[in-house]
Amino acid sequence: MKAERPKFIGARIQRFEDTRLLSGTARYIDDIVLPNMLHLNFLRAETAHATILDIDTSALADLDFPTWVFTGKDTAGLSMKAHQDVPEMQYSEQPFLAEGKVRFVGEPVAVILAEDPYKAEDAAELVFVDYDPLPVVGTMEQARDPEMPPLFDGWKGNVIVERQMKGGDLAAARAAAAHIITRTYRTQRQAGVPMEGRGVVAHYNPADRVLTVWSSTQMPHLVRTYISEELGLPESRIRVVAPDVGGGFGVKGQVYADEILIAWLAMKTGRPVKWIEDRREHLIASIHARDHEHTLEAYVSADGRLLGLKADITVDNGAYSTYPFTSAGEPGMVGKVLPGPYDFQAYEATFRAVATNKCAIGTYRGVARPSAVFSQERLMDDIAAELGIDPFEFRLKNIIRQFPYKNVLGFTYDEGSYAQSLEQMRELLAEDIAEAEVSKSSATRRVGVGIACFIEQTAHGTPDFTRRRTPIETGYIAARVDMSPDGEITIDLGLQSHGQGLETTMAQVAADALGMKPENVYVRHGDTMTTPYSVGTWGSRGGALGGGAVHIAATRIADKLRTIAAHLLQSKPDQIDLVDGRAQVRDNPGSFIEIKKIARIAQRNVEQMPDGMTPGLEAHASCDGPRDGTYANAVHAAVVEIDILTGKTKLRRFVVIEDCGTMLNPLVVDGQVRGGVVQGIGSAMLEHFIYDSECQPLTTNFADYLMPLAPEIPNIEVHHIETPTPLTPLGAKGLGEGGAIGPAAAIANAVGNALGTGVAETPLNTNAVWKLSQHIRETA
Amino acid sequence: MRPASFEYHRATSLDHALELLHEFGEEGRPIAGGQSLVPMMNFRLARPGHLVDINRLPLGGIEIDGQVLRIGALTRHEAYFNDPLIARHFPAFLDAVHYIGHPTIRRNGSIGGSISHADPTAELPAVAVLHDADIVVRSVQGTRKIKAVEFFLSAYVTAIEPGEMVVALEFPLPPSASTGSFIEQSERSGDFGTASIGITLQFAGGKIGKAAMVCSGADLFPIRAPEIEEFLVGKALADPGAAEAGRIFAASIDPVDDHIASADYRRGLIAELTRRAIEAACTRALDKS
Amino acid sequence: MIDITLEVNGASKTLSVEPRRLLADVLRHEFGMSGVHIGCAHGACGCCTVHLDGTPRLSCLTFAVQCDGASIRTVESLGGSEADHVLQQAFKSEHGLQCGYCTPGFLMTLAPFVEEMVAQKRMPEEGEIREAMSGNICRCTGYQGIVAAVRKAVTVGLDAGAA
Repeated sequence: MKAERPKFIGARIQRFEDTRLLSGTARYIDDIVLPNMLHLNFLRAETAHATILDIDTSALADLDFPTWVFTGKDTAGLSMKAHQDVPEMQYSEQPFLAEGKVRFVGEPVAVILAEDPYKAEDAAELVFVDYDPLPVVGTMEQARDPEMPPLFDGWKGNVIVERQMKGGDLAAARAAAAHIITRTYRTQRQAGVPMEGRGVVAHYNPADRVLTVWSSTQMPHLVRTYISEELGLPESRIRVVAPDVGGGFGVKGQVYADEILIAWLAMKTGRPVKWIEDRREHLIASIHARDHEHTLEAYVSADGRLLGLKADITVDNGAYSTYPFTSAGEPGMVGKVLPGPYDFQAYEATFRAVATNKCAIGTYRGVARPSAVFSQERLMDDIAAELGIDPFEFRLKNIIRQFPYKNVLGFTYDEGSYAQSLEQMRELLAEDIAEAEVSKSSATRRVGVGIACFIEQTAHGTPDFTRRRTPIETGYIAARVDMSPDGEITIDLGLQSHGQGLETTMAQVAADALGMKPENVYVRHGDTMTTPYSVGTWGSRGGALGGGAVHIAATRIADKLRTIAAHLLQSKPDQIDLVDGRAQVRDNPGSFIEIKKIARIAQRNVEQMPDGMTPGLEAHASCDGPRDGTYANAVHAAVVEIDILTGKTKLRRFVVIEDCGTMLNPLVVDGQVRGGVVQGIGSAMLEHFIYDSECQPLTTNFADYLMPLAPEIPNIEVHHIETPTPLTPLGAKGLGEGGAIGPAAAIANAVGNALGTGVAETPLNTNAVWKLSQHIRETA
Repeated sequence: MRPASFEYHRATSLDHALELLHEFGEEGRPIAGGQSLVPMMNFRLARPGHLVDINRLPLGGIEIDGQVLRIGALTRHEAYFNDPLIARHFPAFLDAVHYIGHPTIRRNGSIGGSISHADPTAELPAVAVLHDADIVVRSVQGTRKIKAVEFFLSAYVTAIEPGEMVVALEFPLPPSASTGSFIEQSERSGDFGTASIGITLQFAGGKIGKAAMVCSGADLFPIRAPEIEEFLVGKALADPGAAEAGRIFAASIDPVDDHIASADYRRGLIAELTRRAIEAACTRALDKS
Repeated sequence: MIDITLEVNGASKTLSVEPRRLLADVLRHEFGMSGVHIGCAHGACGCCTVHLDGTPRLSCLTFAVQCDGASIRTVESLGGSEADHVLQQAFKSEHGLQCGYCTPGFLMTLAPFVEEMVAQKRMPEEGEIREAMSGNICRCTGYQGIVAAVRKAVTVGLDAGAA
């Protein structure tokens, strides 16, 4: 059957969800208001590591308003369990409320409920906790020190998990190397900070035994599953709703203890319970990200060929393991992706997560890859400098050019545009490169150009998660498409849209398959009562897999429309095209029937359908990720201008050449890339979540935790190459995270280029750049 | 993150405000724009029992009063941008206000509030110290004028006593052959500075006469640099020894070393900003002479 | 509790409020203006920006009692449920929003800026536009679409003035 030429896929269509979001009529979690609701305030640990001697709630009795208080004694046994099922892993559980011990500043110790949020906060101030401090495990070094006391009973030391991945003959690569280059790179701890914090509202209806939980989450179905498993309720009686969600970036892509705790509290108190996270709580206690140290050893031939790579990877995981990706996820991802877009045949990575008295590390846009690509691409520049080769030349010499490519770990890369994007970037930067060269003679002002070339495995599927042996387990996305008797289309989507524009892009996909307009398609998402089970929106899977599921389901309906049309038009189904609201005979377009008429026939005038055909126009489909995912690629470039005497670094230019395969909607693609890049700029230059030596957090508000503001940010130039993948139904690869992956590396390489020095760590704030420029000031 | 309870009083006159503040003593706080106080209250780091709202009092305005420029406590930051008196007499002041916060903050924040809050690296405290402003403080007992250099005692600590409130700042008018400059560096535009330097110069015959210098970021409040002020006297505008001044000054300070910046960096940055501020002021003086 | 009268988006209401209630909370809960979003509650993100007597103000740094007798506008008043204000339409066409949480704050900060530029009959420089939004944090768009939206809204205004 001939596929119709896409009409809406690839079109720059304005988003349907915008009217709601622009007019103030969107409904976010704090807009969920129920009668008789109680407001929850967390009492959180103020000490990083301590034994709880006593929790004194007696002062609450003197208040002139009612309160409810719960501590770890009340919730004993309820916990988050996030384990990688491997013998090397030391298991820990995070109690919903601390039991006996606290392990990071911000850990919930008690909850206080009142009928007004201001009063709940007043009441929480009257609960006193008596702590007996324990020694604090504050650094990777301390965590690896066997003399330090373990954070959990029964543990041996504080290394949570340490494993290896390898491929090829590393000893041979080392022996053959003319150059051995060893470097250590670090990426700092950050917070994800969507502009809407998290929040949960729960309500239990005992008459129907239905528990409803609203949560600002990227994964409502997984929240439902965990609630069911932990509280022993049937999933059929649990409805989890993600309303409009004000940004996620992975921060809302974990199941949190509070989501289940608040459901439990609603059942316990018999009242609806609401919790809206405040900014300080968000910064200290949702999840953190990055905090890596990588020591890399590269083996390079005399003629500049990369022969092998050895990596030692440590992630400072904080105290607890997050669900469903676990504390093994972050270091494991680095080990897996470090080979990157380069062709070499020997590799060995040792990777570990260590436990410290800090907030847990979880998934934040890019997940491990901003850190991995920082190290990989800093290393490429450092090798090029050591060998005296131009950084573009060195990369082009080692870049993968033949596809599909099986990498050193056995992962197969589908086709990309690695070399082409490098070449194109070099042309785009020619003037900046020349200017940077000239500025090298200046002791006061330097210009630098840096690039980051990377690939990103996207659309991870079930085989990938099965290999990981973590609770995520599966990777498919499902969609149910329904055409009603008037020809209008509803998509119930297993994804949850929190800025990605899925209400528009999924409508484009369905419209093309069904010969209708996107305006005819209503996309519903985020509510487990109406949407098919799926793992949620994260990991750059929405367009590729969600789009795939919608396409498959819509195509099934299209096939049925064609069959009915062929029956009515005395043609054959494979001769029917669905175009502009009509089912028409291909060689005789004058012979047609309106699709909405077929829709009516299929559901109202069923006697006109072909004999034996079941009424209805609905289809459920799922789309799983390919075995090794599909690999998007990009080159990012930064041009910086550095004031050597103050450390002030101006980001003059940021250029992206990206290849995410088929673009569903270029407007959305550009928006995703630019937004991701600016978060990456924050990672590179500003954002740093800092603890002192006692693990007290120091950056607990927006005056201390610095995110990019408009004046510092240049326009982001985005160029596209489209190499559709054969591995997903529409040829789309993932793109949501890529923007955030390259900037740290590109900016660090630009700073390094400007200053003629290696750069080992981020953030490159004014102080850091000033320090890196010391040699220039000294020789001036 | 919501405030603790307090009682609210809207002052209907200055005397009314002062009576209320007298009555509440340590528990009373005036509120103007609230841009500094309310965040502290939302974090419950500040918990005044009584707020005295002075926003509707006629305490704004920038005017010349004899030998001083008088700026009322309720003057909002954005007022300086297009004020001819500021532009004419206080170029360093005008430079400095460009570094204050963001448009909404500038529209609502007041000088009285900023001075009373006393953030260590806020711009207006530095400007007041640079220009030897008098901070006019009133209570039911009457008026006292406090020299800006004696007003800021530490981070967020001032010489204001309970029951008192800032009603105005008085900036002595400089002679006509004078100018100034102010340079600040912050991590992002609009943030409180990592460090800032302000300079004023009087000049004659191509040379610097009297000079003043203020530095934020070297201590917990803005400090003057008497040795540099002396150093600059008699220097040629075309060659004021700005780099040397920066080095001398940087060697004399002992800035804090914390998670925002190292002491070394602060010292190095202050040296360089000192050089630039002196050179900028001298360039202006040369343009003017 | 103190009795105050607020005029919100054209409708006046007298109500009794505790002095500590933030204007943002009162607008959300007593007036049903859920388009007022609270992003940080410490005056550092601009999400809660509303117009108080015609000028932008952070409603998380304002107590409702301070606003007795004042006229307040929230995003709901801008272009109604169809969001048909010129700046809202420009946000849509230039992709100046993604998750939408910061959007009401940006709109209320920038709508007067657009009006002012149109009144001055000039197209602001890129840096000027970025400075005008420097008190608002957007975590999704990277700001570029918002800058483009401002430019587009000013263009529409200038064209209308020229016609």
